Amino acid sequence: MKTFRFWLTLLMCVVLWTTVTSCFNSAPNYINTNKTRNIHLIVKMNRGDYWTTVKLGAEAAAQEFNVELTFKAPDSESDITEQVKMVQDSIKEKADVIILAASSYMGLAQVVDQAAYSKIPVISVDAEVGSARVRTYIGSNGYEAGQKSAERLIKLLKGYGEVGIINFTNSTQSEKLESSNGIEYGARDAEEREKGFLNYTARYPNIQVVEISYTTSSIKDAEDLTQLMLLKHPNLRGIASLNETASQGAAMAIQSRGLKNIKMVAFDSSPSMMELLQDGAVQATVIQNPFNNGYLAVKHAVEVIEGINVPERVDTGTKLIDLDNMLWPENQKLLFPFVR
Amino acid sequence: MRQEKSYSFRLRPQHPKGGKRRLSSKLRSIQVTITLTFTSVAVLVAVVVSLMLYNKFAKTAEENANMNIQQIIEQVNYNLELYVKGMRNIFETAEDQITNSPSVDSALLMERMAMLMGSREDLVSAAVFTPQGKYVVGTAGQKLRSNTQLETQSWFTTAKKTSEISYSAPHIQNLFKGQYIWVVSISKLIQYQEKGELKTGILLMDFNFRTIDELSKQVKLGKRGYAYILDQLGNIVYHPQQQLIYAGLKYENVEPVLEYAYRSYLDESTGEKRFITVRTLEQTGWKIVGVAYYDEIVTTKRDLNTFLSWFLAVVILCVIIVSVFLSARIARPIRKLERTLQQVGEGDLNTRIDVSGAYEVEQLSKRFNLMLQRIRQLMDQIIYEQETKRKGELEVLQSQINPHFLYNTLNSVIRLAERGKTEEVVTMIQSLSKFFRISLSKGNNMITVQEELDHIRHYLVIQSFRFKNKFRYEIIAQDEVLQCQTIKLILQPIVENALYHGIEMMPDEGFISIQAELKDNLVVIRISDNGLGMSKETMKVILTGGSKSMSGSGVGVRNVNERIELYYGREYGLSFESEIEEGTTVTLIFPALAKGEGNEGLKEDETSS
Repeated sequence: MKTFRFWLTLLMCVVLWTTVTSCFNSAPNYINTNKTRNIHLIVKMNRGDYWTTVKLGAEAAAQEFNVELTFKAPDSESDITEQVKMVQDSIKEKADVIILAASSYMGLAQVVDQAAYSKIPVISVDAEVGSARVRTYIGSNGYEAGQKSAERLIKLLKGYGEVGIINFTNSTQSEKLESSNGIEYGARDAEEREKGFLNYTARYPNIQVVEISYTTSSIKDAEDLTQLMLLKHPNLRGIASLNETASQGAAMAIQSRGLKNIKMVAFDSSPSMMELLQDGAVQATVIQNPFNNGYLAVKHAVEVIEGINVPERVDTGTKLIDLDNMLWPENQKLLFPFVR
Repeated sequence: MRQEKSYSFRLRPQHPKGGKRRLSSKLRSIQVTITLTFTSVAVLVAVVVSLMLYNKFAKTAEENANMNIQQIIEQVNYNLELYVKGMRNIFETAEDQITNSPSVDSALLMERMAMLMGSREDLVSAAVFTPQGKYVVGTAGQKLRSNTQLETQSWFTTAKKTSEISYSAPHIQNLFKGQYIWVVSISKLIQYQEKGELKTGILLMDFNFRTIDELSKQVKLGKRGYAYILDQLGNIVYHPQQQLIYAGLKYENVEPVLEYAYRSYLDESTGEKRFITVRTLEQTGWKIVGVAYYDEIVTTKRDLNTFLSWFLAVVILCVIIVSVFLSARIARPIRKLERTLQQVGEGDLNTRIDVSGAYEVEQLSKRFNLMLQRIRQLMDQIIYEQETKRKGELEVLQSQINPHFLYNTLNSVIRLAERGKTEEVVTMIQSLSKFFRISLSKGNNMITVQEELDHIRHYLVIQSFRFKNKFRYEIIAQDEVLQCQTIKLILQPIVENALYHGIEMMPDEGFISIQAELKDNLVVIRISDNGLGMSKETMKVILTGGSKSMSGSGVGVRNVNERIELYYGREYGLSFESEIEEGTTVTLIFPALAKGEGNEGLKEDETSS
């Protein structure tokens, strides 16, 4: 009897309590911003407009979602060892999430596994890494970008002529790295773009890719390589460059020599590239969406922490920009980050 | 149904076996009823009051917050208006100077323009173009790029169309070498002089977003709230997350905003409740839109919410505790009373109800105690009376055939027979047989007065033989009294008493008179003798018990009195008048009942035994 009444009373209390509280409260459905998260963003290089824009996007998201963003990058895109070390440091510092733009597809695979082992989620941005433990990839489709570049260059060349490619670090070129025994040590995005480009040009028998030069990540080096290529192949009619530094170097070489008859399709959208485009030194450029890459990477990182499901792959798209469409309002918005 | 009724009337209440029934009876108990009622009423009142308070406060808080937001947006609107006015002033000054200058490429104008440019940080560039898009003049040091496509740009086309000052949407300034920056362009068709010739041209001034940014950044609408600016066409001029919107990562629902110049409304298109305030700048037609998140506006509401829910919880808890205690206090004495009464019901009349508690309950228990006491008294009385009755009847039965009396009488008969007094023997035996017949009277308790008088006559006849004419007697009865009913053998003990104690010891001849009459519907039988009489003490002893003549028939005078009292009531019975040496008169008084009535009384007697 006594216990029966006690339980009855308790039940009554509980029922009343739930009734009362359920009337008033409802859970918020946006990402909780009360907690500060530690997210480490490690990209390929600490210079260049492209990476600055990625960082800008990441910072925008960091501000929005209350994230303490640590930005790290080696001095050069080919410095794989340094990048590996940075990831290791981040693991040691117990980052909540590591966002990585891997300089080498295989070179960083091991350290990413290591991070996953330490229960730190890893998100790939721009360049993929050879690990199954990566939660999501945010970036553009390199293969498609390469094809777009090839398509436009072939159109500019009217379907015939010799073509040179200025690409960036690749395993075949990086003998100086301690790695060897046949493992791919190139950056995934560089490979994909090259593959896309070559596969597209293979359909045109009159187009010969006469040389593929691999530059380290300096404009000067790219310029020199382009000069060399121009000397080696006097019949060269077109140049495709597959990343920002390569594009700038190549464009400068062409501009300095005043070669009007060499068509060039560049990559990425630095302000100087826009200037070159407007000046007519470069006929077109394939742009990616660095701001979105940075923003979405951080946003998805926060979602990973919150336990929200994130898509396996986010394609932020590529676009071909030329003089005609560069001032279209929607392209303006893509090409020039709104910086205050 | 009947079955249940019979259950509830059982002397010993049996515990129902079904659990459901048990629950319902528990639920019906005073304590649970009081607890539930009290709690539900209190909780209902508390909930209603809190809801009313909540609604009232929440409404006020919301109104205040809305007002606040509107004021903030109003303020921003005012500041921006000032800023736009400032831009316009600069533009007009520049226009003035160019128009009034004798030549556009004069050094004085250049200097003035440079000064104007230097005066404002947010002024990026100024230039004059011909309507064909040819560059005429501009701030010093700026180099025009090639492929500018300026003829297609909006500032150029709108300026050509109207003579008013036009403000462009944000765009990239691609005209001059250096950086590509986002600007708002102000342009107008103006007149200028070149080499003495009056020409029309388009004056362009580009402003960057520094000031607009600063003005808008100050807007704090809660933690997440913000303000943005739209131009007439719905292009976003300024947005705190402009790049995200440009990149297509964020969207702003501008359609409902564009329809109104001045409006405040609640927007739920993003799934979240947002409070949106729209104001329009007069000169540019730009719209300032304040976005505040509803759940942030109503933080007061949420605070109130938590407070009220805690308050309610505490109140409910208190109410439950208080009502449980209160009901227990009220119900406990009643339950105790009930338990005690159950004991009483089970037959323990000696239970003492001693319950303290509420005044009513105390009174109830007191009254119950009194009632129990009375019941006990009555029970005792009944028991006593029944016992006496039995005893009396037993004695009467015994007296019906008294061996001592029989033996004495038979002795007298033998003596008479020896002397050969046959006639007297016959009379004696006849009287004896009649005496016994009436004594037995078929086992009936009630007989008529006639029979009773016959009975005593026979007795006196027998006794007169035994006492050898030591006494005389007379029996006088009214005719009306003869058919009245009486309990049998009430006269014999008294007459016996008179004979053995009054007359036997007397030297003179005794006289016994028996008179029966009907007086005020009462039967009055008077038995008087002229014997020795009694002292007052003896009279008392006779009625209260004690002495019983062993020589007599065994049925005492007291027995007669008790029997009359038990049959007819305490007001009836025997009374004595006696004087030493003078004699005694015993008066019997009892109600006159006809034969039928007497039988009834007899039957009642039978059932009660």
